[in-house]
Amino acid sequence: MKMRGIGILAALLAAVFLVLPGTYALAEEPITIGCPLSTAYLYGWDADRAIRLAVDEINANGGVDVGGVKRPFKVEVMDTRDLEPGVPVSEALLAVEKLILEKKADFLVGGPVRSEAALAAMSLLSKHKKVSIFTTGFLTPKFHAMVAKDYDKFKYCFRIHGEAVQLVKEIMACFQEIKAKYGLDKVFIMVQDVSHARGGGKVLGKVAADKGWQVLGTEIYPTGTTDFSMGLIKAKKAGAQILNIWMDMPESSILLKQWYDMKVPALPFGSTLAAAEQPGFWKATEGKGEYTLCNVVNAGNAPSEATPWTMKFYDAYTKKWGIEPEGLGASSSYMAIYVLKDAIERAESLDPDKVVAALEKTDMMGVYGRIQFSPKGHQIIPSFDPKEGAVGSILQWQDGKRVVVFPKSIAKGEIQLPPWMKK
Amino acid sequence: MDILIYGTINSIALALMALGFALVYGISRVPNFAHGAIYVLSGFITWTFLNSLGLHYALSIVITMVLIGALGALLYQFVLIRVRGMAISEIIASYAIGLAILEGLRWGGFKGMSYTLPPFIEGSVMIGGIPVDFQRILVVGLGALIVLGLWAFTHYTRIGLALRGMAQDERAALMLGIDSDLMAVVAMAIGAMLAGLAGVLLLPLGNIVVESGYNVLILAIAVCIVGGLGSWMGAVLAAFLIGFAQILTVVYLGSHYQMVVALLAIIFTLILKPSGLFGMQKELEERV
Repeated sequence: MKMRGIGILAALLAAVFLVLPGTYALAEEPITIGCPLSTAYLYGWDADRAIRLAVDEINANGGVDVGGVKRPFKVEVMDTRDLEPGVPVSEALLAVEKLILEKKADFLVGGPVRSEAALAAMSLLSKHKKVSIFTTGFLTPKFHAMVAKDYDKFKYCFRIHGEAVQLVKEIMACFQEIKAKYGLDKVFIMVQDVSHARGGGKVLGKVAADKGWQVLGTEIYPTGTTDFSMGLIKAKKAGAQILNIWMDMPESSILLKQWYDMKVPALPFGSTLAAAEQPGFWKATEGKGEYTLCNVVNAGNAPSEATPWTMKFYDAYTKKWGIEPEGLGASSSYMAIYVLKDAIERAESLDPDKVVAALEKTDMMGVYGRIQFSPKGHQIIPSFDPKEGAVGSILQWQDGKRVVVFPKSIAKGEIQLPPWMKK
Repeated sequence: MDILIYGTINSIALALMALGFALVYGISRVPNFAHGAIYVLSGFITWTFLNSLGLHYALSIVITMVLIGALGALLYQFVLIRVRGMAISEIIASYAIGLAILEGLRWGGFKGMSYTLPPFIEGSVMIGGIPVDFQRILVVGLGALIVLGLWAFTHYTRIGLALRGMAQDERAALMLGIDSDLMAVVAMAIGAMLAGLAGVLLLPLGNIVVESGYNVLILAIAVCIVGGLGSWMGAVLAAFLIGFAQILTVVYLGSHYQMVVALLAIIFTLILKPSGLFGMQKELEERV
């Protein structure tokens, strides 16, 4: 009888360890991921949600295998506030330092979000030898130029989402499609007065002019602008056919409402347009934002079948948060956690130099295509084909839905013109 | 023509944003730095009544105005009255209230661009070849009515006359039996309601975001400094000066200089005529 009792107890213990590996992993010391994010803004909260989704999935499956020991991930988010008007870079740096020193973050994933703040944070991250994967907002090509120029110093920094040069390439390719299909060739650029937007608008204007487009003007708006009427009148008077918009402020949805009310005969094309990326855009503009195009940087932030993982991620995010992936920071932030897990497991250690070496060898088919980093610049390798690299995604609002229209390899629909533009 | 139309619209919008601030300062001499926060709060309250509780739009606005008026009165009665007369403390206290409201809204989840109020009238019309939406035309009409209504209120009602008496000479008003604190409470309630009215009129043109609170406060202060702190008519005139200057700046220089206009207006006014256009503060040479 006594032996039988011991047998039952042993069987129960075995069940706990064998059937519930997640519980076992959770008993180990967690690997802390510090997430410096501007949480009051889209590119902060979408990344936050995506990171938590990936961490929950990984922990539920037993955690991360660090040299034979299963350890769970733990998320520490801190508000950088760097998307606020005035770009408080010092606040962002403070958040990064607090995550490292107070929260004892083993790795950093996410931001800072705004390029100005992220570039400033890179030296700090190097000083503390913290492996960091930038996943949202930070678009400037200066990132990989800095890593390539001073590799030994900045080798701990990686960026897993698209950047401005690739964005311009995608946008120009999409422009050429529009030109071929509808004969439009006059563009008016409207940008927010922040680094990525000013830079992006300038580069796009130059590239578009070189490719035979008429660039009719550039209007720069301070963060927080709530009236775009005069700029729209300027564009209309100049005969613009495409409004190229670079804005990540929530007020940019006002621009589309005014565009509709004024019936400006130009197709709104958000190279970065945070408002139009979100599923709530339709309601926010009372449907007036229909026909707006916007680049959500990587596939997975709008529904498509780029890879078998794309809709799996899309549906899991929607189920967990009750809303579809909202902005450009979602799929890349999610993917960063899986890439980090993979690198830690291959490195069999949390040692930063070993994890850096493992990250450099990353080759994974992820949510938005093949994930590989450029060897010296640590920038994700982009492509128009998900089989070859990280694929971008341009959507258009059509009848209340976000329809991916570019690139062709993942498109779910064709670009349409508003009725007042049709001849 | 576009400068004339949108200059007028922008000027009336600025006047609406600034009237409440000017009124409160004119009566109680309290610079209400929570003004921008009240503007935004009124939008969120109306949104909540309209979308979460499903009330009629007009009823939502009326209830919001009552609540915002009561909030203004309470803020004076329980906070500002204790620091009245201490200039720095007034600014710190009212700004702290404004910060608490705005950051509280953000903390409470009111972030993003999904908070919008529908325009009172949909559609647009061409005026002289320039497209103008009906809501903006309504802003001009209602804005003018509010200015006229405020003028009539302060000239033909007992409370209004008492408020004017306070604004002109507080000691003389006290000698005539006017309750200074009661008038300040009334002024704060009306000032808050004017900020709220500006909010529900102007916010349907865009969306309700916490950050607007800071911009509205800066614009209201700029208008009141240029017009002369304490002068309501000065504020209206200054709103037109700054409003047209902003539109001219957008047309001839670029949109990113638009906010600079308001800040430059403050600096030049303080250098050239610190009391503003119609200010009742003594000029520097008189004070020395």
